[in-house]
Order: sequence, then structure tokens, then C-alpha cells
Amino acid sequence: MNRRTSWGQWRGIVVLTATWVLLWGSLSPGVVLTGLLVALGVLWLFPLPDISRVATVRLWPLCVLVTRFATDLFVASFQVAWLAVRPGPTPRGGVVGVRLTSPSVAFEVATAELASLIPGSVVVEIRVQEQMLYLHVLDLAGSGGPDGVRASVLALERRILRAFAAKEGETA
Amino acid sequence: MLVAHIVAAASAPALVSRLGRRAFWVLALAPASAVVYALVHTGDVLGGTGPVQVVEWVPALGLQLAFRLDALSWLMLLAVGGVGALVLLYCSAYFSRNAHGLGRFAGVLTAFAGTMVGLVTADDLLLLFVFWELTTVFSYLLIGHYADRKQSRRAAMQAIVLTTAGGLTMLVGLVVLGMSGTWRLSELVADPPRGPAVTVAVVCLLVGAATKSALIPFHFWLPAAMAAPTPVSAYLHAAAMVKAGVYLVARFAPGFADVPAWQVMILALGGGTLLVGAYRALRQNDLKLLLAFGTVSQLGFLVLLLGFGTRAAALAGLALLGAHAMCKAALFLAVGVIDSAAGTRDLRRLTGLARALPGTAVASVLAVASMAGLPPTAGFVAKEAALAAVLPDAGHAPPTGVLAAGGGAVGWMVLVVVVLGSALTVAYGLRFLWGAFANRGPVSPAGAEPPSGRGPDPEDAPQLIDPAEVRRQPVLLTWPPLVLALLGLAVAATGALGESVLGLHADGLPGEPGHLALWSGLTPALGLTVVAVALGVAVFWWRDAVERTQERFRTPSADGLYRRTMRALDDLAADVTAFTQRGSLPVYLGVVLVVLAVGPGLFLGIRLLSGGPEGSAPIALVPWDRPAQVAAVAVVVASAVLAARARRRLKAVILVGVAGYGNAVLFLLHGAPDLALTQILAETLTLVIMVLVLRRLPPYFSDRPLAADRWGRLAVGALTGVVMMGVAVVAPSARVFRPVAADFPEEAVSFGGGHNIVNVTLVDIRAWDTVGEISVLLVAATGVASLVFLRVRSGEVLRLPRGQRTHATVRDGDPAAGEVREGAVGQGATGALSAGRTLTPHRRSVLLEVITRTVFHAMIVFAVFLLFTGHDRPGGGFAAGLVVGIALAVRYLAGGRYELGEAAPVHPGLLLGTGLFLSAGVGLLALLFGGEVLQSWILDFEVPVLGHVHLVTSLFFDVGVMLVVIGLALDVLRTLGAELDRHADEEGETMAPGSTVGMAGATGEKRGDGVVDQGVRP
Repeated sequence: MNRRTSWGQWRGIVVLTATWVLLWGSLSPGVVLTGLLVALGVLWLFPLPDISRVATVRLWPLCVLVTRFATDLFVASFQVAWLAVRPGPTPRGGVVGVRLTSPSVAFEVATAELASLIPGSVVVEIRVQEQMLYLHVLDLAGSGGPDGVRASVLALERRILRAFAAKEGETA
Repeated sequence: MLVAHIVAAASAPALVSRLGRRAFWVLALAPASAVVYALVHTGDVLGGTGPVQVVEWVPALGLQLAFRLDALSWLMLLAVGGVGALVLLYCSAYFSRNAHGLGRFAGVLTAFAGTMVGLVTADDLLLLFVFWELTTVFSYLLIGHYADRKQSRRAAMQAIVLTTAGGLTMLVGLVVLGMSGTWRLSELVADPPRGPAVTVAVVCLLVGAATKSALIPFHFWLPAAMAAPTPVSAYLHAAAMVKAGVYLVARFAPGFADVPAWQVMILALGGGTLLVGAYRALRQNDLKLLLAFGTVSQLGFLVLLLGFGTRAAALAGLALLGAHAMCKAALFLAVGVIDSAAGTRDLRRLTGLARALPGTAVASVLAVASMAGLPPTAGFVAKEAALAAVLPDAGHAPPTGVLAAGGGAVGWMVLVVVVLGSALTVAYGLRFLWGAFANRGPVSPAGAEPPSGRGPDPEDAPQLIDPAEVRRQPVLLTWPPLVLALLGLAVAATGALGESVLGLHADGLPGEPGHLALWSGLTPALGLTVVAVALGVAVFWWRDAVERTQERFRTPSADGLYRRTMRALDDLAADVTAFTQRGSLPVYLGVVLVVLAVGPGLFLGIRLLSGGPEGSAPIALVPWDRPAQVAAVAVVVASAVLAARARRRLKAVILVGVAGYGNAVLFLLHGAPDLALTQILAETLTLVIMVLVLRRLPPYFSDRPLAADRWGRLAVGALTGVVMMGVAVVAPSARVFRPVAADFPEEAVSFGGGHNIVNVTLVDIRAWDTVGEISVLLVAATGVASLVFLRVRSGEVLRLPRGQRTHATVRDGDPAAGEVREGAVGQGATGALSAGRTLTPHRRSVLLEVITRTVFHAMIVFAVFLLFTGHDRPGGGFAAGLVVGIALAVRYLAGGRYELGEAAPVHPGLLLGTGLFLSAGVGLLALLFGGEVLQSWILDFEVPVLGHVHLVTSLFFDVGVMLVVIGLALDVLRTLGAELDRHADEEGETMAPGSTVGMAGATGEKRGDGVVDQGVRP
């Protein structure tokens, strides 16, 4: 049995069982056992290709990633809210293309997701082949211009890679 | 006896298919049994103690199957049964061996005979009506027997339209009579009510009788109905059905003959029909039509006599009824023989048949003699009695009413009409005989002048039939008319017996008794008969002159009026349909809403202003329970208003969705998490589906937006909203009884074994409702599917080629498969989903695919959780099904239609059917174990490792509900999503899931509406 496939399967089972336990809100043996059964059943009934490339989880970089993301979220929320209510002309928005460093789809998507979740910027398109990410930014000037946006997105990607990628600068 | 008819009718098709034409011999036993029954009970009837049979039918409504045999019924039974049996025998020879639809015909004819038997013996007003309408239906089938002929169909339609209209009118009359006293016919006639209502009822009754018995102005359906096979004409239109109206008149005459409206109508209808029918009969060239108009005329005569209101007239009428049944049926059957033998019924083409068909000729002569009232036939006896009865100075006239008015002038008019009618009867009788049997010289193409010198003009005289070519007919065809004609002779000799039986019925009327005798001396009546016969012969003698005169004075025909009326009706219907059914959904919806707002709204407003119903609690309003509700309501109101003003379809849909989510928040704030959960899920799925549909619609509602339109929509919406709000305020205060739901919390636990009342209500307390609802769901899903899947009824499951399926790799655990797929895709996209590659790269959204891949399994687990937890906490099968539906929708949106096929490789019909089977089937299972349907059991047991298990059998019911909902979602996605994609692909359009709109629908629900706007803004 291929190691990666089995890993993917196992991870799926663990995640789904955990979901189940959280839903029921109890860690009794009955719940865990039924959770396992449900997870197996769901995976067997609805097979999907395995895409996760998460090789490892590094605790400290993960903390950095989460903290920074929460801060960005918090700050950006107020920025956008201010933009909405402040007097004066509507800020100029624009689409910025960013070339990502990792060719892995999983990390590209993760980067895109997190970038989208931060208010003020939305991913318009991903071109996986070209590793290009296109973002629409609400206040281009306030975000430091196209270059500022690129820099912050690339920084975000770097934090993700540090937290999850197999080794620093991993490309697959 | 009725049962015998029903059995015979039901088995007729089988008999016919086995015995062929001979089956009619067996079937004839049924009407024959009616004759035997009547004859056996002759003694009882004479003694006035005819059998009475009452079976309770619908006791709650006072409906009874009441039958009674008295003198009138006895006579009718003999006529109906006797003629019926002979006609059925006749049928066995009339139809060819391989005639089409014979089984159906035999069944319907026998059933009709049975219905007539029921009609004449029924003693309950409503039962009478039931049989009355049955004769209408059966006659429709019989007249339209040759369904492939337009003429036949039209005649049948005309007959049923007229007789049904009359029948309904009659029903009104019957109900009025029944409400004013008793539903029992015999009691009603014995003790008739009076009053304006009764007058109306009587008029209604007579209208019914007039349509059935083809009296003017409804007479025209009878000649048209001659399109039917001859046995049908003989039976229905001579002996049976048309006599139903006459029977009705005779039946009610003892009770209501002194009502002025009755007298006026009887005289007008009867006298008028007598003359018009006879007059028209003189003009006909088709033997059958001649007889048909003759029948119309005679029916008028019968109604006149039976409704006249004196004993003598009624006696004469009954005698004439019997005589006419015999002679007219005989004549019709004779026409059938002629038609079959010579191949035509056109009297201008017939010649020399007297020698070719001697038996038929004799029968016809006798029958005509009886019809015209020549001695020594039954018709003569009856007509003598009739003339004697209507002689104004004979002392028979009733002392009151219209007949006494005008110093007896009306009475004299009646006499004149009768004599004139008799004369015309003689004339058309002779015409019939002459036309059918007389010699018209040698058959020559030159059209030599007929010996009588009074034949039709040579130029329009069709080719004569060579008598030598006339085939001899089988005995079964020739002897029924002969038997009937001879019976007419025989009955004439038994005047005394007839008088004693028929007199029993006539006794219910005032005036001196009449007499039935072959010879009652040199009376004025005999003189009048001589006058009538002489007149008739004279008319016949100068028939050419008469025909020419008739040609000159074309009378307006009631038939034409009927046709114009029907055409106008059709036009009106088309106009009304075109006006109301415009095919515009906004108009439909607007009408529905406005009616709702105006109807109940007006009522509501009045109620509110007048202070509400008596005894109801005063309405107390609080602005809100929690301030948060205000915010939710504000969102809902704002989005509703904006939605009503929206020009873009997508905008409107999204706004309506927002309003829905706002409602969910309201539910939540009211402490109904279950409802809120379901509302959110349903709203989400609806939004996805709406967006899927919108892909194929133009972006704007209208290309020419009018401001008035917006305001109109807004007004309708606001009005409806206000009214519904009012209803919501008023409805709870209108409750008088203790709410049934008060016990639900306790019952839910003790019987349903769950703490979630909503769910227990759905799957246990009101499980039947749920079964009904999911059945509706199933029907709706099937309906949508069959509307969209135009190529196949429900389409196939779209799958990837076998080698590319995901499970293949999972099952095999093939290490290379994943790599190969990634490599094969090559264009930069890994397969996050099974069928992502089926989409062209520019349609794909990697983002969506990856997210879908991540959340799909979790959603399914969540659904399973909802299913299991539903009994005690928010959730349940419905919510679980919705979650799975949304999960499938997400996969479809991300991966296209093949992805949907891979995600759920089953046919939705299978899911729907299994779900319904589980829900209802599990309910039935309870029956096996001695419980009630859908009863649930609560199982509590300890499992070593798992701990305490609490299982309620209604869980299976819930699983069924879930499957149905999933099936519905899948069906909708497949039809409105996948199938529409295919349509679009075929049309070369590029709109598809993964494109902006489809994606917006999916992402909008996750992140809020800002994204949607960004996504779709051009």
C-alpha cells in the first residue's frame, strides 16, 4: 500500500472522526467508535482524490501564521469599515497579479483562501499552471500600491510554507 | 334484477369475445327477467300491493335505494324489458360477425337496459336522478358507437349536452321538492307540497323531461341521434330513453297536474311537439329520420295526455305509451331490416320491397296502423280513449286551472291540436309505408315515371335499388319487429285488463274514468278518428303539394340555434381563456396575491375595526421581545422592498435569499433553532437552484422597465405583507379551544421517545402528514425532471469512463493512479475532484475545487449527525437531507455535471422511491407487530463498550425523509443544473458552473453578499 495514499486516508478518517466527536460534544467510547464508523462509511461512499500535501506541522511557525492572520483580519476589518463610512471620494481599487513561489496547488489555494478572508482583498482568479494569483484590492493606494500587495501576499505564502511544508522552500 | 343487469353488462365483453354475436342471446335474458318479474307481480300490482324494496345507501344523507313496483312502473317495466330483450336478440343478427367494438356495445346496451329498469322502479328522488344521468351517459356511448364518424360523435355530443343540461335542471327541481317534504317519490306524489318553490321545481322537472323526451325546443337531438346503430335507435329512441321524460311526467302528474305552470308547459310542449314533429316528419326522405320525427311527435302527444291531468287522459296516455313502444320499436327494427337488405334507407331509392321482404312489410303495416290509430290495433284503442278524454264537453276536463280559462277555448284548441296531430301521423305513416315498400316501376337508368305519378322529380331521384338484389334477411332480424307488431294487435283485444291495471295509476287524478275498448259505440271520438284519418290520407295524397309548400316556408330550425349557441359558447370560452390564462407568471401571481389581500384582507380589516370576534382575547401588541429582532426585521423589510424593485433577476433572487436568512434569524431569536436551521438550509439550496435556473434566463426582468411597474409590484407586495401581518396578529386570538399542541412536549417524550418536539411531531405524532408531504415532494421532483429531460423521461446518470473513476484507484490502492491523473491533466490543475478534468480549463475554479474537496466529507458527516441527533436536538431527516443536497450542489458547482454523477452515482428516482418506501413501509411494519400504522417503538439497551443506546424506530422514518430530500436535490441539480448545461453546450453557449454566475451562487452563501456583487458585476 502506498504510504501517501494511506496517510491521506488516515488523515481523512481522523479529521472526520474529530468532527463527529466535536459535533456530539462528548468523548465517550461510543461516540468515538460510531464516529470512526461514520468516517469510514462516508469515505467509502463518497471517494475523492487525495490532495493534501501537508507533510508536517511546525508548531511555532503555525502560531506565527495564526497570530499574524488574526491581527491582519482585525486591522483590515476596521480599515474597510472606515473606508465605507469616511467622507470623501471612493478609493481606487485594482486587480494585482502575484506570482507565487510554491508550485503546490494545496499551498497556492491556502494562500488564496487566507488572502481572500482578509477584508479588502478578494482572489479573482488562480492560474495554477503559471502559479499566478490575481487579487482585487479595495484600496490600492492604502495597501501600498501593487508592489505592497505583492509583498504582503508573498509574505503570507511564506508563513504558510513554514508552518506546513515538508522542508523550508519545499516545492512539491 | 338490477344485479342481473350489472352482471350481464360486466360480463358482456367477455361473452362477446367468446360467443361472438350469439352472446346477445345470453344478454337478452337480463331484460327478459324484468318482463318475467313484472308479469309475476301482476297480481300484486292489481291489488295495489306491488313489491317495495328499500336498502339504506348513505344513511347520513338519507339516501336510500328504494324501489317500488306500481301500475306505471309495471307498464314501463314491460315496455323496457320486452323491447330490450327483443332488441338484444335482433342485435345478434344485425351486426356482422366481425363488427368492431361489439363487446363494448353489448355491455353498454345491457347496462342501459338495466338502468332503465332502475329508473322506472326507483322510488327515491335522488336515486331516480342517478339512473336518469346514467341513461344519459350510456346513451352517449351508444349514439357515439361509430366513434370514427364525425356525424356520430357530434350527435352524441349534442345529445349529452342537452340531456345533461336538462338533467341538472331536473336535479334542482328534485332537490327543491325533496327539501320541501320527503325524498320518497310515492309519498311526495300522494301528498304534494304547494307554493312558489314548488312551482319553480315543477318547471325545472318539466325542462328535464323535455330535454330527455326530445320535446320542443330540444327535439333536434333525437333525429341527429339516428347516427346510432338501428337497434339503439329502436330501443333508446323509441321505447326506453325518450320515454324516461314521459315517465317522469306521468309519475308526477297525479301530484302536480293542477299547478298552473305545469298545465301551461304541458300544453305548450306537448301540443307544439306533436305538431312540429309530425310536420317535419312529412318532409324526410330518410326512413329513420322520418321515424325519428314521428317519435318526437308521438312523445309530444304522450306528454300532453299524461300531463293533462284527468283520469281518462292519463289512462289513454298509458295505453298509448305501451302501444307506441311496441309499434315504434317495430318500425325502427323494420328500418334496420330494410337498411341491411337494401343497403339504403332513402325512400326515394327503395322499390318493390313488399314482395322481397313480406314479413317485414306485414310488420310495418301493422305497426303503422297502430301508430296512426287505425282499428283494430292497440294504437286505435289508445287514440280513441285519448280523443274521448280531451273532448271538452265530455266532462273530463279538470275543473280548475288553465283549461277552464277562456270559456273552454283552450280545451277546444287542445282537441284541434290532437286531431291535427293524428291526421299528420296518418300522413307520415302512409309516407313511410309508401316509401319503404311501394312499387316504383321498373328499375331503369332513365328514371321512368313511377306508376303513382307522384314520385319525386326524376332529376333529383337517385338510382333505385333493384328489388332482385335485395337479400333475404335472417329470421332473427325479421321476427322481432313482427312479434312487436303482433303484440300491438293482441294487446288491443285485452282492453279490459289494461284498463284495470293502468287505471290504478290514473286513479290518482281527478275526473271521470276513461275506457279502453276496441268498440265503444258511435261516439264523437270515433267520428274524430274518421276525420283525422281522412285528413291524413288527403295530406298524403297531395304530398307533393305539401312538400312544395314546406320547401317554400323554411322554418327556423332549433338545431341551427343550438349550433350557433354552442359556437358562441366555444368562442366565449376561448376568449375567457385567452384573457385569464395569459401565460404570464407575474400576472398569475399578482392576481393570487391581490385576491388574497383584498378578500381576507377586507374581512380582516372590518374585524379589526369592529373590535374582533366575540369572546376573543383582546389584542395586545408589544413592539419586540428583543431589540435584535428589530434589526432582523429591518434587514428583511429592506431586502424585500429592494427585491420588489429590482430589475435584475439575479439581484432579486439574492435579495429574496437575504430576506429568507433574515427570517431564519428571527426564528432563532424566537427560540426555534430547529426551524432556523431548516430555514437556512432550505434557503441556501433554493438560492443555488435559482441561480442555476437564472443561467438560462435573460439578466433583466424586462427590457423596457416602467416605473409604474415597480411601484405596482411594491404596492402588491406591501399590501400582501400587511394583510399577512394582520392575519398573524388576529389568528392566535381567534383560538377558542385548548391548543392540541399543549400536550406535545409530554407526548413527544413518552410516545415518541425524543425531546425535539418538532422532529417527533414530524416523524411520529404527525407522521401521516409527513408521508403525504414527501409524496408531494416526490411528485414535484418527478414533474421537474420530466419537464426538463425532454430526450429521455428521466435521463441517465452521467459517469466517467470506468478507468478514470476515483474509487477504482482507492479500491485498488494503485500507487500510480494519482500520479498518472495529475500527469495526464497536465494543464496545471491537479484533480481535486473526480471529474474536474471534464471541464475545460477556463471554466475551472481550482479554488472552489479544493475547498469542495476539503469540506465535502465534513458536510456529509454533519448530515449524519443531524440525522441521529434530530430526535432530541435540532436537526432531523429533513435538515440532514438538505445538507447532503447542498454538499452535492457544491460538488456540482465546482466540478460540473460529471462530478455530480460521480458524487452520487445513483438515479434520483431510486432515492426517492427508497425513501418513500422506508417512510411508509416502516410504518406498515408496525402493523405486522400489532401496533398502529407508523407507531414507533423506543428501544433502550446497554452495549458493553458503547454504553447506553437509545433507539427509536421512527429513525428509519427519518432516514426515509432524508433520502427523499436528497433525491429531490439530486433530481433538481441534475435537471436544472446538468441537463441545462447540456442544452447550453448544445447551443454553443459558454455559461456553465465554474463561470462567474455559478460560482457566485456557491461562494455567496459562504462569505456574504459582497463577493457576489463583485463576482457578477461586469
